[in-house]
Amino acid sequence: MALANVFEKRANKFCINDNMDVLIEILKRLDDRSLGVAACVCRLWCGLTRNDSLWEHLCFRHLSPPQEGVRTVVLALGGYRRLYMVCVKPVLSRLRVGGAAAELERRVWTRHEVELSLSLFCVDYYERVLIGGGGGGRLGGDSAAPPSSLMFLCKAVNV
Amino acid sequence: MKRDYMNRDAFSSSTTGSCTSSTGKAKMWPCDADDELFAALGYKVKPSDMASVAQKIEQLEEVMEQDGLSELASDTVHYNPSDLSSWLQSMISGLNPLPEFDSASDPFLESSTITSVDNSFDFGSDLISIPGKAVYPTTQHPPPPPQAKKLKTSSYGSPPSGVVFSNESISTESARPVVLVDSQENGIRLVHTLMACAEAVQQDNLKLAEALVKNIGFLAVSQPGAMRKVATYFAEALARRIYRLYPANPIQDTAFTDLLQMHFYETCPYIKFAHFTANQAILEAFAGKTRVHVIDFSMQQGMQWPALLQALALRPGGPPSFRLTGVGPPSHDNTDHLQEVGWKLAQLAETVNVEFEYRGFVANTLADLDASMFDVREGETVAVNSIFELHPLLARPGAIEKVLEVVHGLKPVILTVVEQEANHNGDVFLDRFTESLHYYSTLFDSLESCGGGGGCVGDGVVSDEDKVMSEVYLGRQICNVVACEGVDRVERHETLGQWRTRFGSAGFDPVHLGSNAYKQASMLLALFAGGDGYRVEENNGCLMLGWHTRPLIATSAWKLK
Repeated sequence: MALANVFEKRANKFCINDNMDVLIEILKRLDDRSLGVAACVCRLWCGLTRNDSLWEHLCFRHLSPPQEGVRTVVLALGGYRRLYMVCVKPVLSRLRVGGAAAELERRVWTRHEVELSLSLFCVDYYERVLIGGGGGGRLGGDSAAPPSSLMFLCKAVNV
Repeated sequence: MKRDYMNRDAFSSSTTGSCTSSTGKAKMWPCDADDELFAALGYKVKPSDMASVAQKIEQLEEVMEQDGLSELASDTVHYNPSDLSSWLQSMISGLNPLPEFDSASDPFLESSTITSVDNSFDFGSDLISIPGKAVYPTTQHPPPPPQAKKLKTSSYGSPPSGVVFSNESISTESARPVVLVDSQENGIRLVHTLMACAEAVQQDNLKLAEALVKNIGFLAVSQPGAMRKVATYFAEALARRIYRLYPANPIQDTAFTDLLQMHFYETCPYIKFAHFTANQAILEAFAGKTRVHVIDFSMQQGMQWPALLQALALRPGGPPSFRLTGVGPPSHDNTDHLQEVGWKLAQLAETVNVEFEYRGFVANTLADLDASMFDVREGETVAVNSIFELHPLLARPGAIEKVLEVVHGLKPVILTVVEQEANHNGDVFLDRFTESLHYYSTLFDSLESCGGGGGCVGDGVVSDEDKVMSEVYLGRQICNVVACEGVDRVERHETLGQWRTRFGSAGFDPVHLGSNAYKQASMLLALFAGGDGYRVEENNGCLMLGWHTRPLIATSAWKLK
């Protein structure tokens, strides 16, 4: 008897994985760290969070209207997720020294920051794919040498 | 008096250098013929002065006797070498009242006070050569009053780890002469020795220069970080000049130079700043144009152009059709380096959907170029770009004028130029040396803050290698400025003011780099760790990037009159 009740409850229970659109809507509103955590939940979530449009939303949700043609370029240069991880996040956090992490989400980009990030991203692509791929200048470096022109973004800021 | 005679005989060839002294400040040029016996004790006295020195000593004793300071006179051991003659003079004149005696009693400081009135860091005012073995005396007198002694830093205030001299009080404990190992004092002595060596080279006194250059290495080791490296590079360059072991012509080794420059590009923001600001100017000049042609004199790896391509791809109204002509030196391996770069850029352009055309020109020097070579087409908007490529032309007479004429003939809508902001092209070797010592010290200081350490998040490779390569890159420039002459000396940097005059007389008017360029540059710099040391300055429409208060490179833009 009790078992039947449990099954019945299960049948009526809402499972988020059955409602992908809702899931995506929720994921869209998360910040980068939460997205990373979400990716660890299960394979489905992992696949969803890797979806570039989520990251696009993360990058530009406060920028209105989104600039035309940006998407084509960004996708060609490696995608929004990479753009976020490599350029957007460091740029935002560096330029808002002392700001709380939560501020980053609500932060509105300025045009200049967007332009700078995109430029740096493009340089990153050039170096990584075109120069690095050709066996570039890394002396004794491992084959997976990271793009070096953006190295400076990786260093801890002296605060 | 007896010693005087002995020493006069001991001299074979002696040229008496000129000895200038200014009132109120002891100043003595280390002259060639120094008394050898005195020098062994660490004093530098010219034989011609010997008589007057002895006379002054007698005078001094008399005066001291009169003032009842004989007890001090008897305790006095040695005072710091070098400036015996004028020190005595200052003591005699400064003996009354007593406080001045104190201040005069420390000749090292007295004579090494670098004047603080002028803005330029006047190393040249104080050329005390301090042999490494010199007995550095400690005095029994209380430390001199700070306001009289402070070695003021110039208006280029570098951080303490760099080339800053502050006067510490000298220990007054013991009366026995000791060799001072205090690093700050050694820092001062290091700089003085460098300057004295350069002075000796200037005067062609190679024996003295040789002795001094050996001391520099000795002193340099005690210094931390940037100062040690700078001193080592300068010492090497001086040694090359003295021994006439001129470095191989850097132009021959383009692949290595490119590699070094890449590391320099990655480590610190100077080249990135150059690229971003130049690109912004070009982008603005290309507003509304549909067919654009960029001629780049500094092609190398083509790192400047991806950002411009991307900006053009995203500009409102869509991208123009973009043509790039790259000029570079011949490569010495069998690869066609310029074509490879062009091909990579073409791939990038295709990725971002910009119509792209490329042509590469190999030229030993820019002066070999001709306007007709570039095949400027009807309806094309031309921009010419040069990053650090114009100053080498100053090595040959007439070259820069020819190149500017060629540029003029191309009728560009904008000419973007980035050059080092320093005067390393003066006629006098010593001036060049002084200027470059200061310039590269500042550069190395900034490298210290960029470099290595600071765990990279997520990336394993720390850029210690980058930092070292950047230093080698700068070291080669130092070597060229100091050791080379004539056609080989290609690092002939000039200041923005000098370039302005040149461009003005070549028929160009300045274009103001807008606030966009300024903002982007500021933002770029803020991204760098150690970013608070960098400063972007606007100077009559040109942008300068500097470290603290010292501008190091300048971007300017020009159009036809």
